[in-house]
Amino acid sequence: MAQRTKIDARGAFCPGPLMELIAGLKLIEVGDEIEVWSSDKGSAKDIPEWVAKVGHEMVGVENCEGYDSIVIRKAK
Amino acid sequence: MTSQPLFILLCSGEHEKIQMAAMMASVGAVSDRAVHVFVSMNALAAFEKDLPPDKRYRGGAFSRLLVEKGAPDAMQLFEQGRMLGDLKMYVCSMALDITGWSEDRLVDGLFDEALGLTKFLSDAESGQFVTL
Repeated sequence: MAQRTKIDARGAFCPGPLMELIAGLKLIEVGDEIEVWSSDKGSAKDIPEWVAKVGHEMVGVENCEGYDSIVIRKAK
Repeated sequence: MTSQPLFILLCSGEHEKIQMAAMMASVGAVSDRAVHVFVSMNALAAFEKDLPPDKRYRGGAFSRLLVEKGAPDAMQLFEQGRMLGDLKMYVCSMALDITGWSEDRLVDGLFDEALGLTKFLSDAESGQFVTL
């Protein structure tokens, strides 16, 4: 069963949330997921763009109160 | 698809331009793209080791905001780009000659080597070139 790790990057400015996500991906297994919380307004578009470029999988983006929750599955 | 490598020529000592160079270098390098940064002219002073942010960076209103709001530090972004992606950093050998600095005076572990502009330009023929 896939594990999900949460990274609370609220308050970090671009490209902080993306960098925290990438560092986190190195620590999990293929098939596992990371949920990033980001208050940086670019993350909801930037992170899916990065995920598509490097070949991971988007699980979803949810707009929450004051931040976005972005879930990624490690694909390689 | 393999991306074109990105070559960043960083000459300005302005914090805002150093920050943008660090953002482009780190994000590019972690996005399956080779990035090469060449540091010269006034930018060199910002790469001196063991400086606090208020001494390291000189800039305008946006620079003050970057520090006050706690934006990612440019030196740390360069380090992250090197650690997590394909980022090479070069210091201009002419800038070292003019200032009399040795590479030991620069932030530890940030630079691959001192390089001449001729070599950097030659390498850059294969990629996209940005000057800051």
